[in-house]
Amino acid sequence: MTVRFSYGRIAHVLLWGGLAVASLLVSIPRIYSGVTDHPLHSTSPLHTCDSYLKFATGVSGASKDMISIFQSMSASKRIIIFTCKDDAFSSGLGMTTAYLAAPHLVRLFEISGTHPDNELSKMNPDEVAAVVFCRVNRPHWLPAGKVFGSGLEVVSIREKARR
Amino acid sequence: MSALALLGAYGTLFVGGYGLLALLVRQKIQFSLTEQIAFSWLLGTGAVSLLLWIFGLFVHGMLLPGLVSIICLSLGLVGWRQMVPRPLRRTPNPFEIFLGTIIVIEIAIVFYLSFVHTLGWDGLLNWEIKARYAFANGGVIPATYFSDSGRAFSHPEYPLAIPFTELWLYLWLGEADQFCAKTIFPIFYVIGTFLVVAIGRRFTGKTWIGLVMAAFLFFVPQITVEVGSAIGGYADFPLSIFYLATIGCLLCATEPKNDAFFGLYAACLALLPWVKRDGLILWIVAAACGVFVILRTKRSSRHFLALFPGLLIICGWRFYLSAMHAPQAADFLPMNLETFSSHLDRILPLFSALLTEFHNLPTWSLFWFVVAVGVAYLLGQMRNPGTPILLTALFLPIVLYLLIYVFSSWPNYLEHVGLSISRLLLHVAPVGFLITLLAVSRRRVKSPAPVHERGVTCTIAVSERTPMVELA
Repeated sequence: MTVRFSYGRIAHVLLWGGLAVASLLVSIPRIYSGVTDHPLHSTSPLHTCDSYLKFATGVSGASKDMISIFQSMSASKRIIIFTCKDDAFSSGLGMTTAYLAAPHLVRLFEISGTHPDNELSKMNPDEVAAVVFCRVNRPHWLPAGKVFGSGLEVVSIREKARR
Repeated sequence: MSALALLGAYGTLFVGGYGLLALLVRQKIQFSLTEQIAFSWLLGTGAVSLLLWIFGLFVHGMLLPGLVSIICLSLGLVGWRQMVPRPLRRTPNPFEIFLGTIIVIEIAIVFYLSFVHTLGWDGLLNWEIKARYAFANGGVIPATYFSDSGRAFSHPEYPLAIPFTELWLYLWLGEADQFCAKTIFPIFYVIGTFLVVAIGRRFTGKTWIGLVMAAFLFFVPQITVEVGSAIGGYADFPLSIFYLATIGCLLCATEPKNDAFFGLYAACLALLPWVKRDGLILWIVAAACGVFVILRTKRSSRHFLALFPGLLIICGWRFYLSAMHAPQAADFLPMNLETFSSHLDRILPLFSALLTEFHNLPTWSLFWFVVAVGVAYLLGQMRNPGTPILLTALFLPIVLYLLIYVFSSWPNYLEHVGLSISRLLLHVAPVGFLITLLAVSRRRVKSPAPVHERGVTCTIAVSERTPMVELA
């Protein structure tokens, strides 16, 4: 009995020991690359938004500027955001902009091309505080706005901006 | 100044949780320090987020955090008088010290990873966004947020345990700080290791087995470095820890008359749907397991009241969303028999996708293979009341999650699966660790080894000994 018990115990230890070693061998390279791939970024209160915006537009510390722009506008008006369909960068920029645009209500338009003329022409400018273009071309008839790197532009809508 | 404010936020949270723990346990059982810290954190985050939400219906501004802080401190004071002193500590052996050192290093790495990574996409746009907007509005999420169709992408219908824990930090800090908000998530990792060690010791009477398992938590990439892991600000890992605590307490409550753990089970159960919407499925499974335990241990029918707090939270949140005119989630079709029968052809591809995920080595390493071996071990112990509970707690959520995708409204439902299945499996992964723990300890617990510490052993895994709990 004692011998059988010992064999069983040895088999048990070998099985779990083997599984443990195999798990470590598979895991360690993945964990190692996860640990060493990322240096410490900024520790600012908006560091996640800043990282996203830098990744998508190349501009550092853009979040604070965007918040300032939105806060300078009437909070009772909407922010209109245009993003490009099937463009993950554009979509991400649009959602990050919506995040930063509080307390404004926002409206996200996902358009098929890169020219939002049709959608813009249907809007009532009196209800819109700003239009944001995320990797979408601004129509030429709309005045230029604040550009953040490549692909992000915030256009404040004033009376004179009406078509 | 920020460090002091963080200390204040975490201090009140722990003190409130400790008070609740003491009130639930009511001097019936001794808890180790790690258990006290773990349950204080879980109950503290749950209580503070619930209090912020409920009081936020009536007050806002400085009064809101003041009121919640007073309640937390009062709970702590009451708890201080209620709690049984901890059992005498024994000196750890060198192997336990070695394992403990490894775990400390792992925890340090998880904190480091959390700081060098940004909040994940969902971490920012589904969870932290609610904390930020609530902070900017005096501690209350603005009503316009729920009705704003432009922000429907951020899922206003998601529950508030995680966002309002972040809000609690913001209220103490005096600003919304995405960097400081991330400190919450590695703490959940710490709590997870504490729970694995503590539950392991209760089940087996051996500390080292729990320490080994806790050390292996780190080596599952989905827990440490993947999307939705413990570092990205997602609610999935915290939910998995709440589920671990719920099932762990329920297993300890399988011992007759162990009402202290049953009370803790009820508290953790109630918080599952408050952490994430998917927690509703875990709540259903854990509640079913609880009903099984009540019937099996012939407890009085008043124990069914354990399901009541969770039901209250589920219904309360639903009512609140309806009152706020929050949009319905657009990811799923209406859940009815008609939709189910018309999408039955999805089941086989879904099952295939699940199997593919199980052997996704970069995400899971050999974790699910190890769990499968553990399950094979436990199948021989089905007469033990804990075994069917553990197996149900592991498999039923996976089956239900899979069935949910039958109702996916995504044009390519397999893409929906691919994006979220690993995070859903994460919810039950710690239960997989419990199964592995019991399987590894099987040989050990058969030997009539003396229990070293009074009051910390719950011998659920013992197949040849009478199940018992050594109460203080």
